[in-house]
Amino acid sequence: MAQLGKGKLNYRCPSCFMRDLDIDMFYNKDTKIYSCIRCQYRGTEEDVLAKNEMVRFRYGAMNKRFDKFDFD
Amino acid sequence: MDKFIVNIIHRPEMVPEYSATVTGQGKEEDIGDKALLTESLDIFRTQQRLAHENGLKVTIQMTYASLFNDEAVEIAKHDHEEFGDEIGLSLLGLPCEEFREKYKTKDFCIWMFSMEDKKAIVNDVFEKFHDRFGFYPESTSSYYMDADLINYIKATYPTVKCAVATCWEEGPKAYHTCNNSWYTLFDGGPWAPWIPSKQNTHAPAANEAEDSGIVAIPHLSRDLIACYDGNGSNFGTHPQNVLRGMIYDTKTWEYPYLYNLIDQYRDLYKYNNGYAYNMMFVGPGWMNKMGRWEQPYELLLKSYTDGCAYYGKLKKEGKLIDMTMSEFADYYRKKKGVTDEKRYTEPECALWRDILYGSDKQLFWYCDPYMRACVNMDQGGAIVDLRPYAAKLEWPVGIGTKHVQDASYPFLIQEKYRAGYFTHYAGEGTVRSAKLSYNGEEVDLCLCPTHAHFSQEGRTRILTLDPVEIEFHGLTVKLQTKEYFEEGSSNIKIERHILEMSDPTAEVTLDEYMVACYGTTEYPEDMTSVVLRCEGKDEKRIDYAYKCRTESLQGADAVSAVVPPIDTKVSLTASVEAEGYIEEGYAFSPMFKLGYKKKIADKEVFATWLNLEKAN
Repeated sequence: MAQLGKGKLNYRCPSCFMRDLDIDMFYNKDTKIYSCIRCQYRGTEEDVLAKNEMVRFRYGAMNKRFDKFDFD
Repeated sequence: MDKFIVNIIHRPEMVPEYSATVTGQGKEEDIGDKALLTESLDIFRTQQRLAHENGLKVTIQMTYASLFNDEAVEIAKHDHEEFGDEIGLSLLGLPCEEFREKYKTKDFCIWMFSMEDKKAIVNDVFEKFHDRFGFYPESTSSYYMDADLINYIKATYPTVKCAVATCWEEGPKAYHTCNNSWYTLFDGGPWAPWIPSKQNTHAPAANEAEDSGIVAIPHLSRDLIACYDGNGSNFGTHPQNVLRGMIYDTKTWEYPYLYNLIDQYRDLYKYNNGYAYNMMFVGPGWMNKMGRWEQPYELLLKSYTDGCAYYGKLKKEGKLIDMTMSEFADYYRKKKGVTDEKRYTEPECALWRDILYGSDKQLFWYCDPYMRACVNMDQGGAIVDLRPYAAKLEWPVGIGTKHVQDASYPFLIQEKYRAGYFTHYAGEGTVRSAKLSYNGEEVDLCLCPTHAHFSQEGRTRILTLDPVEIEFHGLTVKLQTKEYFEEGSSNIKIERHILEMSDPTAEVTLDEYMVACYGTTEYPEDMTSVVLRCEGKDEKRIDYAYKCRTESLQGADAVSAVVPPIDTKVSLTASVEAEGYIEEGYAFSPMFKLGYKKKIADKEVFATWLNLEKAN
């Protein structure tokens, strides 16, 4: 197997992102798998994108537009 | 009239942070890569265009590298003439062939150099700027500028009156997020513009003698809940921060959070005598043509386009005034009363609500020349962060000092780094709260979430919290907390009002306490120089030795701690006679505790003050 490289975009590890770590993943062009060199996450682009949707669970008001900022 | 000011700042970085590592992954380092230079200039040109198309003035912070680039210099001159942009000089963006050749180092953060190198670099960069433009700049910038650096710049180049001088809560959290490889450690500063003291950049000047001569602005306007809790680089008025945090809809590429963030900053005029502020400062690396992390270039471009368009729209509607940095410095000094009254004590206040996570959590941030404090309404109005600016701690940073990288202003209380109310198994975390006890039951106000309302009486800012109900077996107590921040007093007064008791004849014990330590990081420091006292006729004293000792004194005038490593004395005082106590910690709980206990009945009020002083 040749060395790992970058994919078409520079995906971060979704598992590390959930613990507030920005870690670029590296790409195996033969297997089309992205892998994290900090933790044990491995996944295809499809899986990375799906997990990235999941990490947004914490942003409960992400799509809400606020017009009031106090509780008066 | 209420005013919302924005500073839009661009820097033509020739070798942008990140671009080299992203674009150049798998290639040998080439700091003079022509493709990178061309791309960087293209991005700078695009940023300028987007601001101008939306009728916004820009402050161009020329980098050292860009001063060697004729095209970058010409763009700056043109846009100064055409759009009224200010041409300033950044101390970011030092890396280039010329810099490497001259200084023989890959260091690039100005505050980390030795003082000798800081002076040499400042002279070099400012003189190069003068060669190219024929004048000296009125504004400068970095992620952090230490007091010695600011003092040197002001003394040598007195034209400078504004600087980007810190990035709010960019400290251990940012370091952690970057896999412990991003050494920007400068927590504990103001989130909004201030006049730095000559002694410590974070701590605002208290008077003319302490005035460093510049107005400092923070690098970006940050979310005052999200950035305190998590990675600051995901939650700021840098549109690509919001993308970095993945706070957008991947199908529609919409990010209402960015506009909520700007709008909440606009709303802060209510707490600051009609003034509110924002800044946007985006380096070109964030609009890399290769995309940035998950985001393709098109989304990066869209976010910056939308950011400029929103500020432009507010301007067209008369809701925003765009200024250059030097214009803002003049405006700020006048607005805050410094120019005419020589008044330096007006605080910055922010009553901030969660606009991201869907909770109703609310914090109050307060900053003046004597302290920065955070009050957490989700914990009954507990103080969960406290920086004793009263000490005006002299803390040189950079090579050759004790703090090569660590530029944070030390805390006495930091709920994230040294626990807050909740600890595992044993010990206590740092927090200023109160406990009520009745017939063997005890309830901490940290477990009584509520909301606060802001008011101002003269020069005192008041937080009035919604009453909370505390249920004991056989007794319900309705309690209201009021917190007073009197300008220039260097203290915080907290009143507890017993509004109602289900048994009007009952008495409860109120324990007003503060658990504290000191430090700048998550790790404990040596506490052995700390001295605790119950002050009064029969003074009680504990010299800290991790022995878990306690002393108390009925009618204590004050309970205090002197913390020599940060030149700070902190004390509590009470409105009426009460039992003061001090507690030493132990190795597994390296804290100290100060408090007052008092029995309190229906309709009574008990007040305590938290006071901060310079210890020596």
